[in-house]
Amino acid sequence: MKRREFLSRSATAGLSLGVLSACGGGGSSSPDGGKPGTDNPGTGNPGQPGPTPNAPEMPSYGGPDPFQHGVASGDPLANQVILWTRLTAAGLDEIPVIVEVARDATFATPVYQGVGYARSQNDFTVKLDPLLPEPETTYFYRFRSLGFTSPVGRTRTAPAPGAQVDHLRLAVVSCSNLPYGWFNAYARVARRADLDAVLHLGDYIYEYAQGEYNDADLAGPRPVDPPHEIITLDDYRRRYACYRRDPDLQECHRQHPFICVWDDHEIANDAWMDGAENHNEGEGDFADRKRAAVRAYYEWMPIRMGFPDRDMRIYRRFDYGDLLTLVMLDTRLIGRDPQVDSPSEARDRNRQLLGQDQRQWLFEQLEYSRGRGARWHVIGQQVMLSPLTLGTLPDTPNWDLGGGAQLNYDQWDGYQTSRRALLGRIEAMALDNTVVLTGDIHSSWAMDVSADPGNPLVYNRFTGQGSLAVEFVTPAVTSPAAPSKALSDLARAALVPLNPHLKWVDLFHRGYLVLDLTAEHCKADWFHLNTVSEPDDSEFFARSYLTRDGQNHVERASQPSAPKTAAPPLAPATQGIKP
Amino acid sequence: MSLKRRDFIRNLLIGGASVPVLSACGGGGGGGGGDQAATPGQGGQETGNTPDTPEAPRTLRFIAVGDTGSGGQGQYQVAAAMEAVVAERGCDLVLITGDNIYEAGVTAVDDPQFLEKFEYPYQNLDLPFFLCLGNHDCASTVFGGGSDNQRGDYQVMYHYSRDRYSNKWHMPARFYSQAFDTSRDTPFLELFVVDSNPLTSFYLDRDENFNWANYGYPQQTWMKRAVGKSQAHWKIAMTHVPYRSNGKHGNAGDLDAHLRWMFNNPDADGLRYKAFLEECFADRADLLLTGHDHSLQWLQPAQAMGRTELMVSGAGAKTDDFKDASRNPVRYQNDSEYGFVWVELNEDSMTTVFYQVSPEDGSVRIGHQETRAKPVTARVLEPA
Repeated sequence: MKRREFLSRSATAGLSLGVLSACGGGGSSSPDGGKPGTDNPGTGNPGQPGPTPNAPEMPSYGGPDPFQHGVASGDPLANQVILWTRLTAAGLDEIPVIVEVARDATFATPVYQGVGYARSQNDFTVKLDPLLPEPETTYFYRFRSLGFTSPVGRTRTAPAPGAQVDHLRLAVVSCSNLPYGWFNAYARVARRADLDAVLHLGDYIYEYAQGEYNDADLAGPRPVDPPHEIITLDDYRRRYACYRRDPDLQECHRQHPFICVWDDHEIANDAWMDGAENHNEGEGDFADRKRAAVRAYYEWMPIRMGFPDRDMRIYRRFDYGDLLTLVMLDTRLIGRDPQVDSPSEARDRNRQLLGQDQRQWLFEQLEYSRGRGARWHVIGQQVMLSPLTLGTLPDTPNWDLGGGAQLNYDQWDGYQTSRRALLGRIEAMALDNTVVLTGDIHSSWAMDVSADPGNPLVYNRFTGQGSLAVEFVTPAVTSPAAPSKALSDLARAALVPLNPHLKWVDLFHRGYLVLDLTAEHCKADWFHLNTVSEPDDSEFFARSYLTRDGQNHVERASQPSAPKTAAPPLAPATQGIKP
Repeated sequence: MSLKRRDFIRNLLIGGASVPVLSACGGGGGGGGGDQAATPGQGGQETGNTPDTPEAPRTLRFIAVGDTGSGGQGQYQVAAAMEAVVAERGCDLVLITGDNIYEAGVTAVDDPQFLEKFEYPYQNLDLPFFLCLGNHDCASTVFGGGSDNQRGDYQVMYHYSRDRYSNKWHMPARFYSQAFDTSRDTPFLELFVVDSNPLTSFYLDRDENFNWANYGYPQQTWMKRAVGKSQAHWKIAMTHVPYRSNGKHGNAGDLDAHLRWMFNNPDADGLRYKAFLEECFADRADLLLTGHDHSLQWLQPAQAMGRTELMVSGAGAKTDDFKDASRNPVRYQNDSEYGFVWVELNEDSMTTVFYQVSPEDGSVRIGHQETRAKPVTARVLEPA
């Protein structure tokens, strides 16, 4: 095999150049040896990098800085993390990009060097999945290409699955609609040096045309590209590129690894397996649109493609030592039957939200998580699991009645069999410490999760007894819910008594939550913003609820959790945001 | 091969001290006394097994019948038909898919119903019977509501009883597995028997020992592991409540759709039970054998159950009309006659004969006969 050929192959697979030189120039190396995940990180990637590799030949280029969309990382494992960037260099293709990873932001202690290629077929996005020497470690990375160097990114590997972990902190965000506001929430999250990762629960982009779902006052400063509703692959790519120009979003990606799942707006509003509310025949075949959206998602998001022949599958698991098993679900595309709008249809036993394969997989993950002794089983997903009703009544499945008057059939309320199956499994397993994280609904909620919250014999609203799990809902980064705080307070005053499992709701404020996990508690601290109508640096602590080990219901806490001691430093500021 | 009554009594007296001794006397019994592997039919003229020559292809025959325990004419007619088929085609064991004792099970290990509804009707069938519990075995009323699971324990105790009438009754536990023909490295067949009543009963059992957390899920975990580690060539699962059925009880996940309004167990629709069967047996068991609906059905495989074949054999004493004959596609079905299924397992194939017994005159006919390749060929690897 020719050296150059091998270089390009190993580079696409994310094999480190250090490995290459370690095996004597690479000429004799196995041609398919670049599969990440099969290599032993202990031997395949020594702590000290090998000799400086032969740099790939750079094409000549006289244009502006090609790193227009920042850097990103995601899907951390104990010894791997996805590194991402994109090149903007008119007229070039197959552009080599060198990535460097180090323990420090000055790159005095490098641990990895590799090469990726920005190709037109991937919209010039570059993704590498390097093997890194240490779990639970903060690394700094940067890309070099065409004579330019990217901003320095910062990422963090997960603890080894068996490691004892005392403290984890995750930021949880969702619903970031660029034309609806400034990404002040991302800016605040970016600054939290003690986060292990950022969970994005979907609606990372919105598909609408300019002016269709936005804050009209921001049409000038925050226009979307393309200006029409996105349908084709090119549209979806342009929309991601547009969002990724946002400096606050870039900064958040630059500082933290993301773990992302899509919701509906990454494709179209209220999407299900084979359609969406915001899709009509004039927009072509939904399957084509879905394929385009999914392809652009993989190109632009720092997500690992776990199943190259099944790219529709993004449900996956992360083990964070003995403290946390994180299960990320897809309640949108992989198995969802179409939405209905009546309580009787919502009870149809043949309808599914997760689909057979994902449901069984989820049950296996819960068993696996308990089997390996993880303290917390956290399910990151999109739509609200707990009922939202105008009066929760006892549920009588044998009469196909009860539960109350549901308000939103797009959430699990519209798929009651799927919810019964999940809660029934948690109940049968007598599984403690399940925590559900939810986005989608542009508001903040703290809830107990009961199979029958309206039945006082099953669930006690005052003590939380009978609750099987807890659910924390993160507010939107920008997308709106109630138009004013007064209306939100009114809604809260009405909804909390009508929904016994609901402890707190805020329908007005945008923001995010920080999930704080220790052996004793899993705690959600909501941080809200004063405004998204203008760039604003302020936030305030809104509420905090926690569930204690073995308790399976929420209780209010007066203070947010303390930050981690000795948080690793943030990546140094870049010299201004690029045009 | 049928024992004369006198021989039978003698066997009982000689072997009364121990079930394995009894079976060694040529009673044809399985190795019964517990979870010991059984090699049924050893020495029996009807079996072609020759365990001494390992190269010989193995074969095993059984009858599957269900909902038998009426003690009435129907049960006797079916028993007579079984005798004829056993004499003609041979048989190593009998599987009963539950509702062994109508209408409300037994209330003691010496309950005379063991005689009236099992021993007497099958006294001319000198074969080991492997039974599973049905809703009527665990019911406190004629309605079969299944709210008295503890009652099923007497049927397990009968397995161990020294005072029983014959050694045929095999129910070493409420749920169990049993290997057959263990003469070689791997058993030729392993049978997995589920206790479905606590998972699906119409009415709630107040005894918390039988709720999902204390019984259903532990059973599921045990069963999944047992099937997963089984090296048996053939794997057959037996349970009372069907995974799919065109009869009045319907499909797991939506059981008794038209009766459910009378029930108080929120699990009566079998939603969790359906997942139980899928997780334990889909693409692992070759055949899932059920009863509960009083008909014979050989259903087309269901997607969520993979290649596992699905049968309902619940016409051992009663018949009930189909509620929706086209609810599920079938290979064969009959709801108007009594009947049972005779199966011959070979190394690579399975011959199935559906025998129908006329309720009018007890005459026997073959309703359907088919030989199919072994459904599940590869051993499914457990997820890491």
